[in-house]
Amino acid sequence: MLTRRTSLTFFLGGLGLAAGVAGLVPTARAQQATDQAADFVDKTGKELVAVVNSTGSAQEKAAAATQIIDRAVDVDGVGRFCLGRFWRAATPEQQRQYLELFHRVLQVSITSKMGDYQGVNFIMGRALPRDSEVVAVSTTVLRPGNPPAKVEWLVSMASASPKVVDVMAEGTSLRLTQRDDYVSYLSRNNNRIQALIDAMRRQSNQAS
Amino acid sequence: MPRFPRSLLLLAAFQLATLLVAGCATTPPASDADAVADFKATNDPLEPTNRVFYAVNNGLDTVLLRPLAVAYKSGVPEVVRTHVHNVLDNLSTPVAVADDILQTKPRRAGDSLMRLLINSTIGVAGIFDVATDWGWPEHSTDFGMTLALWGVPDGPFLFLPVLGPSDPRDAAGFGVDVAMDPLTWVGQGTIVDALGYARLGVSAVDARAAALDDLDKIKAQALDPYATFRSLYRQHRDSQIEDARSDNRATLPVWFPAR
Repeated sequence: MLTRRTSLTFFLGGLGLAAGVAGLVPTARAQQATDQAADFVDKTGKELVAVVNSTGSAQEKAAAATQIIDRAVDVDGVGRFCLGRFWRAATPEQQRQYLELFHRVLQVSITSKMGDYQGVNFIMGRALPRDSEVVAVSTTVLRPGNPPAKVEWLVSMASASPKVVDVMAEGTSLRLTQRDDYVSYLSRNNNRIQALIDAMRRQSNQAS
Repeated sequence: MPRFPRSLLLLAAFQLATLLVAGCATTPPASDADAVADFKATNDPLEPTNRVFYAVNNGLDTVLLRPLAVAYKSGVPEVVRTHVHNVLDNLSTPVAVADDILQTKPRRAGDSLMRLLINSTIGVAGIFDVATDWGWPEHSTDFGMTLALWGVPDGPFLFLPVLGPSDPRDAAGFGVDVAMDPLTWVGQGTIVDALGYARLGVSAVDARAAALDDLDKIKAQALDPYATFRSLYRQHRDSQIEDARSDNRATLPVWFPAR
């Protein structure tokens, strides 16, 4: 007989079951995101290692590496982060110039190290979710002539394709360090964004 | 009393004197709330003095320490350099055991103690790092980390001559570590003094050679190397302290019946 109590029990039980299943689904999705991030780092890392260790001129290697980096890293996002509180103070034209120079400075900084990285390799570690969108993938990078370094890659799964948003080398965040550098430079130059843009232009011209 | 701690007092006096000359950093105007928040977060009120010391250090590094490190790295084979590093590590293990105990981290203390015992005996006075392969990995620790785990805040950023980036907590910790080191007090005479200075010199060159590529890259690419080093120092320190704090491995053996 379907009393009110029985139907209430069934209803609550059904609700509990639904909640339990709903609780499982984000976990399954989170696990999938974590695995995707780990695979992404593994694949991109292997591509980069292949480029660095390949035989070819420094220019060719640099061009190939830059392509991989542009695809894998959210360079615009990192650039915006690195300007810190000055992003809002910059005009759209300054923002555009800054991002363009940020791309170039990143290219220069990577390509200048291409020679040093000959013989580099890496070992995959664990992948753990940092928050709802970001997964931290640990690796150990083996550079010849240097002790092995623990490098963590923070991968954002927010958009359709995974993008690296930060690199933590031995616990130090690269984008945080870069931001501290730029913000300090700006505060010592009367908060003029043009001064930063000029300095970055000098830097990118220096090496090319 | 060995000459070593006296030179630390001289350093402290020199720093104080320069502070009176160079002065403190200027706070940004209260109207710019973001700038004030940034200034407080950076916590570097002695920035002008620190920058002077950074310039001094940088000069000494360019003229003296870096050339030595380059010569060391290119002239000495990697195997020998690794062995030298292992010996230096082993010499500082007694202090590490004491610091781990003071931090109430029994597993880390156990690791350090086993490393001391195994590497000193089977590893032939520390030359061979046998302990890592046998399951006792290396970790670095110092009294500055002990103070941090006891809850002492780090305080304003200090760039010390010779010692480099630091803060009051870590500078005090360095002093305590030197005082706790049995090798500071053992023996007396010219040979012991000479060995002490030799250890200091080789440690400096060894550390500088290990960081050669990274520091060159930072100095070449940073717009403000001083700020970059300040940021890196703080982040690295926080990460070390967090590693120590979160190392809560169980102290019961596997076979012990858990309640």
